[in-house]
Formats: sequence, structure tokens, C-alpha cells
Amino acid sequence: MRKGIAMMNRISENGNIKHRNPAGSIPHSIFSVRCSMVLLLGATLGSANLANAERILIKDAIVHTVSGETLSPGEVLIDGSKIIEVAAKVNGSGAAVLSLNGQHLYPGLIALDTALGLSEISGVRSTRDIVEVGDYTPEVQSWIAVNPDSELIPVTRANGITHVEPAPQGGIVAGQSGLVALSGWTSEQMVIKKPAGLHVYWPGMELDTRPKDKFKDKSKWKSPEDQAKERQAKLRSLEDFFDEARAYATAFDASKKNPTLAPERNPAWESMLPFLTGNAPIMVHADDLRQIKAALKWAETNQLKIVLVGGRDAWMLADKIAAAKVPVVYEHIFAQPARDVDRYDVNFRAPEVLRAAGVTFAIGMGADTFDAGLVKNLPYTVAQSIAFGLPEADALKSMTLVPAQLVGVADRLGSIEAGKEATFFMTDGNIFDIRSNVSRVWIAGKEMNFATRHTRLYEKYKNRPKTN
Amino acid sequence: MVTANFLKRAFLFFVFPVFAISAAELLPPGNRPLPLGVHALVGGKVVVKPGQTLDPATILIRDGLITAVGADVTIPADARLWEMKGTTIYAGFIDSYLNLGAKAGAPSSPKPGANLTIGKFYGIVGAGTDTGNSGPGTDVAQVTPERRAALSYSPDEKALEKLRELGFTSGNLVFGKGVFRGTTAFIALSDTEPNRALIKPDVFQQVVFDTENDRENGYPESLMGVIAVIRQTFLDAQHYALDTADFQKHSNRPRPEFNPAWEALRPATEGKMRVLLEPHSAPMVDRATRIAQEMKLDTCIVSTGQEWRRPELAKSAKVPFIVRLDFPDVSKLPEDDDWNDISLDQLRAWDWAPENAAVLRRQKIEIALTTDGLSDKKNFRKNLKGALERGLAEADALAALTTVPAKICGVEKLLGTIEAGKLANLTVVDGNYFQPESKVREVWVDGRIYRGPIEKKEPPKDQKADEEKKQAAPRVARAPLEGRGAITNAPDLLIRNATIWTSGAGGILTNATLLIANGKISSVGAKVEAGPNTVVIEGAGLHVTPGLIDAHSHAAILDGVNESSLPSTAMVRIGDVVNPETDNLHKELAGGLTVANLLHGSANPIGGQNCVIKLRDGLAAEELKFTDAPAGIKFALGENVKQSNWGEKYTKRFPQTRMGVKTFIQNRFIAAQRYAKDWETYKKSDGPPPRRDLELEAIDEIIRGQRLIHCHSYRQDEILMMIRLMESFGVKVGTFQHVLEGYKVADEIATHGAGASTFADWWAYKYEVIDAIPFNGSLLRERGALVSFNSDSPDLARRLYTEAAKAVKFGGVPEQEALKFVTINPAKQLRIDKRVGSLEPGKDADFAVWSKSPLDSSTVCLQTWIEGKKYFDRELETSRATALENERRALIEKAKKILKGGGTDKPDEAGTKKFFDRALEYLHDHEERHCDDE
Repeated sequence: MRKGIAMMNRISENGNIKHRNPAGSIPHSIFSVRCSMVLLLGATLGSANLANAERILIKDAIVHTVSGETLSPGEVLIDGSKIIEVAAKVNGSGAAVLSLNGQHLYPGLIALDTALGLSEISGVRSTRDIVEVGDYTPEVQSWIAVNPDSELIPVTRANGITHVEPAPQGGIVAGQSGLVALSGWTSEQMVIKKPAGLHVYWPGMELDTRPKDKFKDKSKWKSPEDQAKERQAKLRSLEDFFDEARAYATAFDASKKNPTLAPERNPAWESMLPFLTGNAPIMVHADDLRQIKAALKWAETNQLKIVLVGGRDAWMLADKIAAAKVPVVYEHIFAQPARDVDRYDVNFRAPEVLRAAGVTFAIGMGADTFDAGLVKNLPYTVAQSIAFGLPEADALKSMTLVPAQLVGVADRLGSIEAGKEATFFMTDGNIFDIRSNVSRVWIAGKEMNFATRHTRLYEKYKNRPKTN
Repeated sequence: MVTANFLKRAFLFFVFPVFAISAAELLPPGNRPLPLGVHALVGGKVVVKPGQTLDPATILIRDGLITAVGADVTIPADARLWEMKGTTIYAGFIDSYLNLGAKAGAPSSPKPGANLTIGKFYGIVGAGTDTGNSGPGTDVAQVTPERRAALSYSPDEKALEKLRELGFTSGNLVFGKGVFRGTTAFIALSDTEPNRALIKPDVFQQVVFDTENDRENGYPESLMGVIAVIRQTFLDAQHYALDTADFQKHSNRPRPEFNPAWEALRPATEGKMRVLLEPHSAPMVDRATRIAQEMKLDTCIVSTGQEWRRPELAKSAKVPFIVRLDFPDVSKLPEDDDWNDISLDQLRAWDWAPENAAVLRRQKIEIALTTDGLSDKKNFRKNLKGALERGLAEADALAALTTVPAKICGVEKLLGTIEAGKLANLTVVDGNYFQPESKVREVWVDGRIYRGPIEKKEPPKDQKADEEKKQAAPRVARAPLEGRGAITNAPDLLIRNATIWTSGAGGILTNATLLIANGKISSVGAKVEAGPNTVVIEGAGLHVTPGLIDAHSHAAILDGVNESSLPSTAMVRIGDVVNPETDNLHKELAGGLTVANLLHGSANPIGGQNCVIKLRDGLAAEELKFTDAPAGIKFALGENVKQSNWGEKYTKRFPQTRMGVKTFIQNRFIAAQRYAKDWETYKKSDGPPPRRDLELEAIDEIIRGQRLIHCHSYRQDEILMMIRLMESFGVKVGTFQHVLEGYKVADEIATHGAGASTFADWWAYKYEVIDAIPFNGSLLRERGALVSFNSDSPDLARRLYTEAAKAVKFGGVPEQEALKFVTINPAKQLRIDKRVGSLEPGKDADFAVWSKSPLDSSTVCLQTWIEGKKYFDRELETSRATALENERRALIEKAKKILKGGGTDKPDEAGTKKFFDRALEYLHDHEERHCDDE
């Protein structure tokens, strides 16, 4: 019988540590430090810090390096928060040894564009911090509003997701996202990249073809011609906004040589600077064919570094997107096909279409607040694209290395490589198989606690005395 | 007074005779004197009736009546002579559905919160209380059968003139809004005062499947609610007749209420007045037919314009149809990419529209035509020509304007043909009416001439003719049923060398055979050889499972999934609104699903009746139903039913708390017990039967163990409440749905014997699911409850197999047991396990074939079979999609060609709008729908 995560190491309700030895081979000595750390830190954080141990050699693991060959078996030498060496055989003299007994080691998974972090209970307004008012609010920052004690975080982490990108929503230029580690005492400690991206929600370009009498408020009805005019106006407004931002940037640059030319401070324009220079990407949310076409054209004309997010119709334009070298965060695997002529599996197959065309893509689940607690299922969402043709290696990249590259943290995350963070997790089977269990997760060398709201309630009610 | 004003106006301004019928009348001086009223129309080609023509012939008219027709008619001396050479004279055309936009009769909205102490509206405190209709009537604002078009008719000269210019001389006047709109009236299209224009009041009772109402306006807000209202209202009217008759005999009993609505329906319930049913969507044509049969009504159906979707439904209606010619007109789009917003189905609806009349005729259905639905009535003749070009015979078209409408409106003795004794209503055309360029020279109404306008001669436009040719080009769209339905229907089928997940006592068999004969499983795992006619599937490397079963679905429901306007809607039935056309059926078949339990939503403590279907894609709604499935009903507890997330406006209707939910359900159960007692008493007495109450009848069926409760629930306290409350009525809950805190009271659920149909891992989407855990299924199972995983989502229903795998992950349910969460367990919960849910001899051959273990996340469903027929085959998907795409491309090409040629001559505004209409059947495709949705 496969064992559920609830049977893994955890801190019980009364604070005592219960040990399980999943493969019966973890040397107890290594973890004595960890245990005392846990006791010191208490149950809330509950992570153990390998950095406080000596060098550690992880061996007899199937190492999914992502950046290179999968090593089966392979060894990983880590020192503190960093990976020192990854190879089939590593000289780990002096290091404590942790044998995985043939289990898998994967780099931490990265979920881009999430509501996780900004939303707790989708249906309770007071727990949502995700949509701001106004069409242009580039200075809004997501990472300062992440609740480190969200009950959703441990549940997500327990399935190998180590980093998420909470994204602001609403309006057109909604604000900036950061990449946060699902580890840390405070929101400051969690954020590892800020800004990760500027979130632009491309104006809707679909025609609303409902007749006037279907509108509750008849004044809201617009003719197709008026709608076409309106969308042009919206696009112009977006272009103007970026032109104005560029003007501010020019003034700002000039003021470096001549401080008297400094423009009046304006937090909105200031916050646009990194995205105009390409230091951080502009995450353009676009699903519809027309939106994607318009966004590609806009990025080309204005020499902007963009990432398409959503990308429902990206498969229709795969060649064009590949030629433009614009990456995609594809979020529609489990969305219903949008048209009545689409094949039933059009969205399952879309990642493979993108890959075959040479598009760089990550796979995400979308930032619907309903799904905030289900980001844990990212590997199973991706698995559907494997079932429908995507090679497993590319599938794995789409939730590790590619998202790391897109938000500019590939030097730290996304693969198991020398020099990168010791951020990885261990499973007893293929991560894409739901039946596999993640048993241990490390983020920057710290081992994460596995207790979640789910396991706590499970333990509690599993032990409810029988009444029948 | 309308009439008085009108008369005043008439006297002041009319130059022509007003009272054409009374030639003898002498008007006071100052009026223009009346003519004799005797006319001889000589030399025209007289079309006596469809198929019978006299050429030339004379028609004699006297005092508004035809007195003679024939070649050798002697012309009396007092007749005014009319030279008709070169004209064709038809019996005056009849518009069968004349909507002159009369505002009168529009129901007003109920006022929420009003009249709380009376609680009149279905007795629900705080529900919308119908104070909108002043005076006595029914509780439901949409039900006003007592209204009469005849009483609010006021001629509008301009509107009448337009109709006469098209050749119309009389019509069946419809009016009002709502579901029961009242009685229609038959009028002459004459400029006389209404008393004289009216030929026959109360022609039809008009009943419309009108879903324009929304939640704020009270019951009914959904299509299924509308049907429930129609059913209950007819029953009420039937009962009212019995009850009032009884009171006539026995005045020493409590008197019946005075209800003019029910009174007005008596002729309809007795078959003495025709009911005009307007189903509004193609699948509802069948519902209309069945309602008519159930209530023994004499009906006539207003065509949806889309009977081409399933012509056999119209055929089985066996009643006349009134047909509009309001075809969609192709509309310009701002940009080429905007064609992406036009679905194949919209294009099909456009391309098929002109053919619908001919489709109906091919089903041997009598049709009558109407100008209704056109913004510009002038487009009637253009569109009629379109219908003729698409196969409608001229004689049928003429009949649809004359004899058929006369008959269905019950005026065939007065109108419809040119015969002595009939009203002198004539349509005179310079040539053939069915050539739009032939001018309607004049019409005669009640013996009075109305001349057509003098038109300027327009130079003939060749281009115009070209365009029309283009538009009339042959149909490009395919029949929507093409490419749907069973792919193969082999009498015998053998799958060999496969891994077979039986979900039965056999467990998982490797290298095993599955033999199927006549839609049933004959053997599993036995050593059998293929016969000469046996179709063989080589199963090496493949896995075979029972067809998956979704115990909680809203994926194939027309219109809203909730009738949320009342806290108990036990009378509404999902079975009335099963949607056989939705793409969801195909998409879910592609995920191995074969059975779905279509549930009402969760907006009220006592919801509507559910309907279990098999996904026999392509068949009609009635044929999807799982006939052996016992009846059931949706209940719901917690946040949704206490309106927690409905917004600040919704704080007044009972119940608002979990305390109130129990109180409410208990109240309805006791009411049902009393109702049942009334019927028991009646059986022993000789009095009239009690009023049938479809709400209480359904609840009584629960108490009698004839209807299963499927109860939406989350928190442990409410689950326990429901168990104990039902136990107090001797009822066992069929299933708890969602039951996300079920694990906390697993023992109690198991002891009670209810099934638990839960989500694999949904949580945290609202407050009452904060304690939902993915171990719920395994914990409930460990404690002995019968567990299934459901979708509550047309997306998730495509991959219930991956949900089952989560039971392995969370709590370590053995794999074959996990698969049972989506096969035999839901079958048992729905009490259909004798037929489906496992692969065992004697059961239905419902199964799916997989590329790998069904619990492997990268498995692919290759085929899905129901009752030995293949409904999904992955290998055919490419050709299927290509055919659809090609059809769409060809249709767009056709549309663009017409637009390039300058579009249709004068696009009808309503037609242009109609081009964008989406059929109700497809309105909710491509979107998620949960039980919270309206």
C-alpha cells in the first residue's frame, strides 16, 4: 500500500516529534540537528535547516536535474543552502550521507501567476487581496501582501511546489508580482525576486454580440462598430501609457547627468522603469487570438520584453510566437475548448503544439481564486499534456527551469545543478503520477515541515473513537 | 376609454366608409355617405384555394360577404364593377401570430418583502410576494390566463397598413408577457373600431416557455420552473372546475377561492379552446408535445425556427406549427479575426433558417405563416421567397397563409378560401404573390378595398438579383446530428488480452477477455473464441474499465441549473430540461464517462428533481434518460441555501441560518404528510379530490421511499441534523453530496446508510469548506460508508479517473477500490448497480478502453462504449474535427461572399441581431457550471 503524506515526519499536535523512516535508511545523526532546530523554531515554521549540518551527500537517488541528463542513480552534494556538485558519482568525503534508496529527486516546482498568497478563502471577500481598483496601477506590489501563515501554503508545498508568483489582478496595468518561496517567517523573507513581472491584462477584444434586449442595463449595449472603436481606443490608451512611462524614463535618465532635469517624483512612473529597460518582463495576459496578435505587434513595435500569460489561443499562432521569441505561460490545459469546432483535446495538446513550433513555455494553472488551494495539483495539470503528446522532459521544464528563466531566477532555481539553491523534493515515484507521494521538501537547504491543515484534521478524525 | 377616443378620431378624420358591412346604414349628415357595398371583381385569376384556380373568373361581394365566384357569374345592376384583368386574387392572407406590441397584459414584478404577514407568494415569508397583479388571480405573476387580447385591442392604422401592403387581411392577435399570457383574438385588419374588427375573441390560450424572468422577479426564473408552473397551473384549473362544481351542489362546505385565472383556463383544460404553445428552443418542442399529451390539450405550436435540428421531434408533435420567417441576416463584422466569435452553430442556424418551413412540411406538419419577428415587415416576402427556394412548395405556402391558419384559428367557415358565404377578404396581386417583385395591388377586408401604395418604378437592378441568387445558394451547413450518435453497433464484441478492471468480485483481470452480446456483457475473463460475426478488439497493453459514473453533474441542463426563487422547488424537474445537444456529452465521453446524475443546483433547501442519463450522444433528450434509475431529488444545506453569498439584498427570505434550514425542511415534510393524509381521506369520501400539489407530492414520495435525496452538504453539524431529521420521518438519505466534513461524522453516515459523494480534493473556496481534506474519501470508506468522487463540473467530469487516483494518494485506498469511487460506488448510490458500474455478466456493456492504467495520470481514454455501441473513438477525432472545421470555413466563405456583394438587399434589423443569437442548447457550453450557478 502506498503511504499518504500524513505518515511522514511531522510534529504532532502536542509538539512532540514523531519520526518515520520512509526508506528506513536516513541516518539519525543528520537529523538530530534538524530536530532540535524544529523544537527551537516551533511548529509554525517547523523547518529543519540542513545548512546547520555539515556538508550533505544525497545518494542513491534518481536525480531529475532538468538542466541535464536524469541521473539514475545520481548523487548531489550540498553545502548549506547551495548545491556543490551533481553527478553520477560525487566525491562527498566528509559529508553526511543521505541515501534516498532509489527514490526520485526533483527541483522545486515553480507556479507562475497564482492567486495563492493573496487569497485564502475564495468566497470570503475579507480574505482576498487580489484585485485593486483602477486601470493603471503599476506601483501595486503583490509580494508585500502575501500572508506567510496562509493555510494554503503548507498544503501546496507538501506536493513539491516551492515557489509561486502571486499576481495582482484588475484593470489593465494591474501591478507588479514577486516570486516568493513557500518558506520564511515573514513576507520579506519569502520574496526572492521583486519585481518578477509587471502584469498587464490586455484589453478584451472579443465582440459582445448579445442583442440589446439581453442587457439588463440597456445603456451598456454597444454596436459591433462601436466596440471595435472602443477596443482601438483602449489599445491606444495602453500605448499612450507606455509612451508616457518612457518619457518619464528618459527624463529620469537625463537627470542622472543633470539633477536639475529630474522629473517630479511619481511612484507609478518610477515603478515602470525596470520593465521599459527589459530588466523584468511584462506579463501580458492574453487569451484570445486577437489579443495575442495585438500584444505581439505591440511588443515588437515598442521593443518590450513580454511574456504571454494565459495563451488560450497561442496554439493557433505557435509559429508566429516562436518567431517573435516570446515565451508563454500556458494556463488552459483544463479549460473547456473555446469553440464548437475545436477537438475535445485541443487544450490538452496545446503544449505539444507550442513545443513543436519552438515556443518557450511554462505551464500554469491560472490565478482564479477558486484554485488558490489547488496549486498543489500543478504536476497533474502538466501530466495531462504528457498524456496528449508532450515529452516528459519538456513537461518537467515547463514547471521548473522555464518559469525560473521567465522571472529571472534561473541562476538560483529550476534545476538541480552545481551553484544553484538546494531547493528540491523527494518522491517515491514519478512526480506526474498522482499516486506518487512527495515525502520530503527542501527550500534553500531547509527541510520543510509536512504538517498541514489537512494532515492535522486527518490525524484528529482518524483517531476519533468509533461510534458504531 | 380607448374605444371612445378611437371613435372620435375615426369620425373626425376618416374619409372612407367606416362601417362597410352595414350598407343599409344611413350616417348622419356631414359624413361622407356610405356606398352600396356591392362589388363585382371581373377578369382576374382567382385562386379559390391552394390547387384550385379559376382564370378568368368573377367574384361578387355584397355587404362584406362573397356571394358568388365563377366564370359565368351574372353581375347585378347595383354592383360596382372592378376590372381585375392581369391580377391574381387570393383568399385574404392571415397572419397567424400577429403581435402588434400591445403592452397591456404585461405582468408586473412581485415586490420582495412586501406583504410579509400574509406570505401570499407560495407561502414563503420574505420571498418575492406577488402584489403586482391587482385583484384576484394566481400567485405567480407570469400566469395571467384571464387576460384577453380582445379587450385591449386598439387598431393602429400604420401597423395595419404595413400588413395589408403585404397582402394580409386578418390575423390572430397575440399579446402580453409571461408564461400564461391569456387568450388571443382573431381580428380583421380593417380601419374600423375594434368592436367590428374583432372576428373571434379567445382563439387560443397562449402559453410561452418564457425564461426572461430572473431571480429578483420571483418564481419561476428557470426553464424547468416555467415547465413546472405550466403543469401545476393546468392541474389547478382542472381541480378548480371540480371544486367549484362540488360547491354548487354542496354549499355547506368551505367555499372555493375565486380564481379568474383558473376559471379562464377551463375551456383549455376541457379541450374546447386550443392552447398555443411556444417552446422557444428546439428541444422544448418535444416538451411542449409531452405537456400537451399529459394535460390532454388541443394545441398548436409556435415554431422555434430551428426544427431542422431534430425534425422528428416536430413530426411526433402531430400538431400544426406557426412559422416565422425572421431569418438571421448575415452581419458585417469590424475585423476579419472577429469571425472567431461566430460559432459553427450560429452559422448553421443562419444557413438552415430558410429551409425550416420545408423541413416541417417534409414531416407532414401543417404550417401557418406569420410576419412576426421581422423588424421591417417588408422583408416577409423576400424571406418567403428564400423558403420557397429551399423547398417549400408554393401551394403549401399559400395554404400557410390562408386555409391552414383559418382552420387552426377556428375561422375556416369565414375565411381561408374564396367561396360564396365567406368574408370578402381578398388579396389582389399583379402577378404571382410568390415573386417578391409582383406588387400587392390591393386587399379587400370585410368587403372594403384597401389599395396599395403607388410605387415609383424603380429601375431593375441586376446586381440585386445576383445577390439574391448568391444568398439562395444551396445549403452548406450539415445537419447537426451528422457525425454524432453511435459509431458502431456490433451484435457481438470480444475484447481479448486486456487488463480488465471489473469493479466487481473479479477484481482486476490481466490478459482477460470481455465478451459482449446484444449490448450486454455475456462473460468476463472466460476462455471464449470469436464467432464469425464477432467484432474483436485486440486489448494487449490496454486497460478496460466500466464506464465511469458521475454522481453530481449539471453538464446537460437547458437554461438555469437552479430554480432559486423559492426555498422549496420540489416540483421542478431536471427531466423536463435535459439538454441532448451540449458538447459536454462528447467531451465527457472522451474521458470514459457513460452515466451522469443531472442535479438541480443548491440554491434552496429542497431543490428540484434530478435525472440520471446515459451519455448516448446524438439521441433526443428522452432517449438519454436512464429509465431504470429511481427518482431522486436535490436537497441542499448551509451557505448557499441561507443565501450567505447572494449579496446584501438577500437577507429576508426564510431561512437565513442553519437553524432555519432544518425548520424549513421539517415544515415541508409535515406539510407533505398532511397532504398525503388528505388524499387518504378523499379515497374514503365522496367529495372532490384535493388539489394536486406537485411540490408536496414529490416530498411525499421521499417519505414513501420512492424518491432518493441527494443532499448537498458540507459541515458535520448540518449532516447530522439532516440524518436525524430524516430518521424522524423514517427516511434514509440517498447520498450526501460534497459532504466535505463527512469524515468527521463518518460513523454516523455509515450507520444511517447514506452514500457519500464527494470531491477528491476541492477545498478552501468558501468558509464552510475550510475543513475539507483530501483524505475525506478514504476516511469515510474506512468507516464503512459508500464513497464516490464526483465532478460538479463539466471540466472535471472529463477526467474522473484522475480524481479516483487521488484516493490512492490520500489515505492509501487500494487501486481497484479507488476506481470503484467512480464506477460501482456511484452506481450503487444511484441504485442503478443492477445495470451498470461493473463489468459482470448480465450488465449493460458500458465500458471505456484506456492506453494505460486508468489511474495513471498519463493515460488516455481511447474508446467509450454504451450498451455495446461505440460512442467515442479517439482515432476518429481528427476526421470529426476536420469535418467541423471545413464546414465552418465554407459557411464563413459563403457569408463573406454575400457581404462582399453588398450584403442582402436591405438587412432586417432583427435578422442582423438574430445572426448573433446562440441557441439555448449551446449557451453554456465551453464554460464551467457548478451547483451555485443560476
